[in-house]
Amino acid sequence: MSALVCCLLVLLILGFMIVTGLPLFGQSQAMDLLTGAWSPRNNLYGIAPMILGTLWISLLSVTISFPMSLGCAAYISVLGGHKKATVMKGCVQMMTGIPTIIYGFVGVFLLVPLIRETAGRGSGMCILSASLVLAVLIAPTMILFFIQSFDRVPRSWLDAVDALGGSRVQKLVYVVLPACVKGIVTGTVLSFGRALGDTLVALMIAGNAVQTPNSLLDSARTLTSHIALVSAADFESMEFKSIFLCGAVLYLITAVVILGARLIEKRGNHE
Amino acid sequence: MTPPKIKIESLDFYYNNHQILSNINETIPENAITSIIGPSGAGKSTFLSLFNRLWETTPGARVEGRVLARFHHSFMDINTPKFSVTQLRRAVGMVFQMPNPLPMSIFNNVAFPLKLAGIKEKEAVQNRVTAAIKACGLWPEVKDRLEKKATTLSGGQQQRLCMARALVMEPEILLLDEPTSSLDPRSGAMIEELMVDLKQRCTLIMVSHQPDQVEKIADHIIDFTPGPES
Repeated sequence: MSALVCCLLVLLILGFMIVTGLPLFGQSQAMDLLTGAWSPRNNLYGIAPMILGTLWISLLSVTISFPMSLGCAAYISVLGGHKKATVMKGCVQMMTGIPTIIYGFVGVFLLVPLIRETAGRGSGMCILSASLVLAVLIAPTMILFFIQSFDRVPRSWLDAVDALGGSRVQKLVYVVLPACVKGIVTGTVLSFGRALGDTLVALMIAGNAVQTPNSLLDSARTLTSHIALVSAADFESMEFKSIFLCGAVLYLITAVVILGARLIEKRGNHE
Repeated sequence: MTPPKIKIESLDFYYNNHQILSNINETIPENAITSIIGPSGAGKSTFLSLFNRLWETTPGARVEGRVLARFHHSFMDINTPKFSVTQLRRAVGMVFQMPNPLPMSIFNNVAFPLKLAGIKEKEAVQNRVTAAIKACGLWPEVKDRLEKKATTLSGGQQQRLCMARALVMEPEILLLDEPTSSLDPRSGAMIEELMVDLKQRCTLIMVSHQPDQVEKIADHIIDFTPGPES
């Protein structure tokens, strides 16, 4: 029963966003909304720049976070000594409890000036800065998921490698990683979902300019920060209504990503 | 009795503050089957783990005393830090209670220790793997399906595969932790025969719960049954 209620609720939210965004389709063509430019003065409510901004920032943050998280999880589960690994795992668990706004602050006051000076142009509020901070933000999710996957490798396999004189690195490369490919993919995809949905980091650090980004040092606006910024507009305005389309698009991307991850995980369990 | 291969001198073993083994003094003869017997929880498996230092993977485990093994004509304390654990484990093979093939093909399972040791020449690998599988009497059963997953084998076959994997590095000592307890009697008998054959080329140390097995194949017995005074 509760499962049914949950399902209905999820569908209701999607329906709500589509219905509330419907008036937009009367003003402009559906494709224009998804692929066009954003210029409310000219009655253009295209959200393409925001979709691109979201994809750039979340993909880049996952790309940065992946090797870092994989290395960290490998150290905690396989490579590191018991004590050091325990301390490190505690730190990672603590990271999940740090409020997002703190990461935002660190980004604004430490990272943004650094990027500005290193790049020698722009304000430093750009895709690169936002992605770097977001990479740190999603790392604990990824690390803990990877650890969970590594720890499911049967003890007997690890004993076999130990008894044969294998080093920790060999154990990781020859046994643990091949056994955890599905877990690694699932963890990465779920973190990508987390990066897609994050609002605050991009809002504080990405600069929020509505433009199609051409380089990592360009400012960008994500769907989530767009919703946050525009929600202050007049409730009856078309601008305001466009945020429901943003919500629906974000919802669909996230749903596809999460469903994909679950599908991979399920297949992994059946083997 | 054959000359000693291993000498254990005033050995204590602790797990955190809990003492598992106390003042053990034993000698293990070369090219013979030494059987370790005693009730559950007496520290038999822990005792076995002393010879390949597998106890080191357990956090909180600690050893005092000496375990002297004779490799290349002279006795050396295998617990000294300068004794490489990798070298030790290549010279001391181990077979576990439950067969534990790795999630790879039959051939790759047996070739795995060679891969760990960095031996790559195809022909050498092929020859050594074949020899090890033949030595365990498994060749006729698997020669046509070497590329199949090792988990497709029966329990008894898996255990012989694990023995082949332990033997491919030609170890001088082979440790066996209740190697037949999870197998049917016929598979168990095959493993027992194999162990007797292996005496020629290595020193075997086996934990066993089966008195008839001990009586049948053991040349030397170490009894962990607590004395009446304790």
